[in-house]
Amino acid sequence: MMRRTLKLAWFKRNRYALTVVAIALSVAFIVSTLLLTTSIADVGQPLRQGYERVDVVVTGAEVAVGDGPDQAITAPVPRQTMDDLVAAGFDAVGFSDPYAQVIASDGQAGGQDQTSANVAEPWLADSPLNAFTITDGRAPASPGEAALDRSTADAAGLDVGDPLRFVTDDGAETTTLVGLATFGGSDNDPYTSTLLLSPDHPVFTGVDGFDRVLVARAEVDDVAALAPGQTVRSGGEWILAEENALNDFLGFFSTFLTVFAVVAVVVGMVIVTNTFTVSLAQRTQELALLRLVGTTRRQLLIQVVLEAFLLGAVGTALGLALGIAGVSALGWFLDVLGLVIERSSGLSSSALVIGIVVGVGVTVVAAVRPAWKATAVAPIEALRANESEQTVGGARRFVAGGTFIAGLVLLAWGVIATDILITGIAIGALFLALYLGADSLVRIAARIARPVMGTAGPTGTIASRNLERNAGRTSAAASALMIGIALIGFFTLMAATIGEFIAGDAGEALEADLVVQGIGSRPEPALGDDLLAAIGSVDGLEVVVPLYQTSVTPVAGATVERIGPGGDGALGVAIADVDALRSTFAFEVNAGSLDDIAGTAVAIDQATADTFDLTVGDPLEVTALAGDITVTVATIVETSLPGAPQPAVVGDLGLRAVVGLDDPATIAYVGGSAAAADVRAVIDLPTVEVVSRDDYIDGLGSRLGTILALVYALLAVAVVVALIGIANTVSLAISERVGEIAATRAAGASIRQIFWSLLAEFGLLAIVGIASGLAFAWVAAAAFFNTLSGGQIGTPTVDVATGVLIVAGGLAGALAASWLPARSASRADILDALRAD
Amino acid sequence: MVDSEQDTVARLERATKTFGTGDAAVTALDDATIGFRRGEFTAVMGPSGSGKSTLMYCQSGLDRLTSGRAFIGDVDVSTLTDQELSVLRRSTMGFIFQSFHLVPALNARENITLPVDLDRDAEVDEAFLDELAVVLGIEHRLGNLPSQLSGGQRQRVAVARAMMPRPEVIFADEPTGALDSKTSGELLTYLRTAVDDLGQTIVMVTHDAVAASHCDRVVYVQDGRLVDEGRNPTVDDVLGKIRELS
Repeated sequence: MMRRTLKLAWFKRNRYALTVVAIALSVAFIVSTLLLTTSIADVGQPLRQGYERVDVVVTGAEVAVGDGPDQAITAPVPRQTMDDLVAAGFDAVGFSDPYAQVIASDGQAGGQDQTSANVAEPWLADSPLNAFTITDGRAPASPGEAALDRSTADAAGLDVGDPLRFVTDDGAETTTLVGLATFGGSDNDPYTSTLLLSPDHPVFTGVDGFDRVLVARAEVDDVAALAPGQTVRSGGEWILAEENALNDFLGFFSTFLTVFAVVAVVVGMVIVTNTFTVSLAQRTQELALLRLVGTTRRQLLIQVVLEAFLLGAVGTALGLALGIAGVSALGWFLDVLGLVIERSSGLSSSALVIGIVVGVGVTVVAAVRPAWKATAVAPIEALRANESEQTVGGARRFVAGGTFIAGLVLLAWGVIATDILITGIAIGALFLALYLGADSLVRIAARIARPVMGTAGPTGTIASRNLERNAGRTSAAASALMIGIALIGFFTLMAATIGEFIAGDAGEALEADLVVQGIGSRPEPALGDDLLAAIGSVDGLEVVVPLYQTSVTPVAGATVERIGPGGDGALGVAIADVDALRSTFAFEVNAGSLDDIAGTAVAIDQATADTFDLTVGDPLEVTALAGDITVTVATIVETSLPGAPQPAVVGDLGLRAVVGLDDPATIAYVGGSAAAADVRAVIDLPTVEVVSRDDYIDGLGSRLGTILALVYALLAVAVVVALIGIANTVSLAISERVGEIAATRAAGASIRQIFWSLLAEFGLLAIVGIASGLAFAWVAAAAFFNTLSGGQIGTPTVDVATGVLIVAGGLAGALAASWLPARSASRADILDALRAD
Repeated sequence: MVDSEQDTVARLERATKTFGTGDAAVTALDDATIGFRRGEFTAVMGPSGSGKSTLMYCQSGLDRLTSGRAFIGDVDVSTLTDQELSVLRRSTMGFIFQSFHLVPALNARENITLPVDLDRDAEVDEAFLDELAVVLGIEHRLGNLPSQLSGGQRQRVAVARAMMPRPEVIFADEPTGALDSKTSGELLTYLRTAVDDLGQTIVMVTHDAVAASHCDRVVYVQDGRLVDEGRNPTVDDVLGKIRELS
């Protein structure tokens, strides 16, 4: 049995070659994704080891919750609490995590990467609260000395004895690097670049509050008694929370990658099913002949499934090799995007096992149904002419139609009820309907195109007729392309819409000539008063408006759903000298007057007013850093300042003290005729950048752009698999028609006529896939946004250029995939083909 | 055995065709020279593997000669590009195959007009099409797809397709091979009529003595060479000759 299967499979190796490639790519994708996610370093281990002697941790009250570690805001632990604990004899140390950016040997901001926080911490010597261990050189003994974690020193190209330049909110300074340290046995504190300075360094003194206070040799209850209003947890609980916060962030990537791996596998499965359906249909006579000479159906079934198993095994073996290579490529790509994920080396055996099971399993499962149908052939079929007509599955069409209608009804319900779960199910149902109904769509398209294609002569007619007749088989190619195009289309619409939402109207209203801002985040580098003063002295500048930013949470009432990174729950607050701000930003006032903004009287944007049902003069109670406060609505503006997310509240400088915001400004609008280079020249800090207004607006979407680049790269794999599916379907469909092509050639059709009719046929097929994919993407995006924004975003923003690019790319890819099979079929020797048929 | 050059529609000159190379080389056609006159119905006969089909395919330009020349009219087909050959096929040649080779996506009528339709400048002669359909008895089946026709009907559609462009010559490769004796008798009668009434030239490869008996001339091929020929053969003549050769 195995021998015969091997022989048959080898005989059909050309027919199966593309399927093997598709399986290999799918497996490679899932394996590299799994290898990457399983290699993500365990962040818990160094935290547990580094902080093993920490018994109690005090953190401040929560002010605003957010999506990531850089979005949540907690109030600082007051210095008084720290002092009380120390006075009571506790071994307690407060950490304020001040911003400290190491400058690499090349003069640029250097640290591990942009996903890391850049902070300074006091060197705690032999305190049980010290998570660091010096491994090279020695500890910093004076403010003129510093130590670095090993990863950061390595990334910045610095070694013991080198001068070390770094920037804090107080400006730049140079010290000597005297030692390298490890954190909890790891080369760095997870996702953090740490500069270790002696505790008497000015960056730690004069701090009013702390991010956290660590306490050793203490009980939670004893500490809690001295820290009213603070969150007091055991060291273990706090470590777990920190670990979870980091893992949530990493889990996003894991989920994200897994989703795309599944997409690639689904597309691969469509191709495998298609290959077996078509190749078995073509072998009806061969199978019938085997039945005729006494093969049982069971034996035939086993033979076909063995063939699939073999195919799956070869594809999977190739895929594993590709996948192991692919994980480095994926890691490299993430590095390029600046989304550095800390990884451990070594291959996870479970990832490889899953890859093998999926690759072989999917192939076998995908072959079972076609095999079941094909082996039901009556032995008498062997004696009949091979002119089997394609029968259309009426049940399938019925199911597709029913699913489509159900999807539409659910979609309407989901959008009206703003229930994302129902909308999600509806989108899934519509997708399934499109997949099941693809053959009907192809048939309809072929019928519509027939008059047009008929003008190209009989070869055009043949092309459209064949498409109509074989829709059941060839529509799989359209489906595969539809999946790829739908996903790309959806993400493109999402990006364009969110980009528009973030930077659209607000971006247009920004009239500043330049924007000065810190590079990096967590914590955001500050624009100190000295720096702002220096900028103000540049010739030609008329106005410099520093913005102070924080977040507040409404005390009661609706939660705010905002589309955009880290946008839910909290309200962003921007504080500035409003008179100066008005010269750099053109507010569109819907109600009230900008002149009334002062103290707790603030401007809110229309969206926020709608959400909380606020009008001018209404109070709004919020939790801020300073505790619960009440602001009043002085004016409602159409759109607030640009930002990601946009601040909902704009207040005058007087609001700063009210909300308890001590942090320096993080961004400044600059108006005037000075060149960016002139402003740049007075700054002298590599951590601050001066950008033009347009670059600033573009940059707001850049984080989104980074994620989008990742999405596109991953989708590219799915699209390549889909294109292989098209090439595969085209080859199979053409191999079915060798005789017909030869007959047409014998009747006088030229190579060119045959070639173009084949290309037209598969071009039309591609158009069906692209059109249905784009239509689906638009409907899904529109429903998605309407549901999430409660109608705030009506229709998705269509980026025409990208749309044209998708259509052109999809069509070009499909035609390229059809090119070679069509070329070789049209050039095939007429006599050989006639004899073979 | 060279016929007069006058009125020769197709001819082979010192035609040799070799398949494969070295020890595996097989000579299918060995220095054959033959001509086919206008309005003549010729049967090419010979045992299996004698080279009779190769002769026909090389003559029509579907296959290339290893050496020698193949003329359709005054045109040496071995000098033509594929494009020129395609045009030549659709305008001056017709083909009838044992297994019909109709285009399954096209109905009977579209199959018949295919060679004319392929030429953008040519118009279908509707009157001639109707005449062909009536004579062949398929006038009521023109709208049907090949899969909806019987074997005999399919072959008659194939004949009509070969006739449609009023070709200089029709090449038929075992046209009765897949038909029963009654149906094949009708088909041969029709081919005979086409020759007699329309002056059609037909070259038919066959191993059926009955089929050959409908021809004006029969040519015997063995080992790639033309070994004999006769005129107005009877079934017995042919059977006797075949027995002698094999």
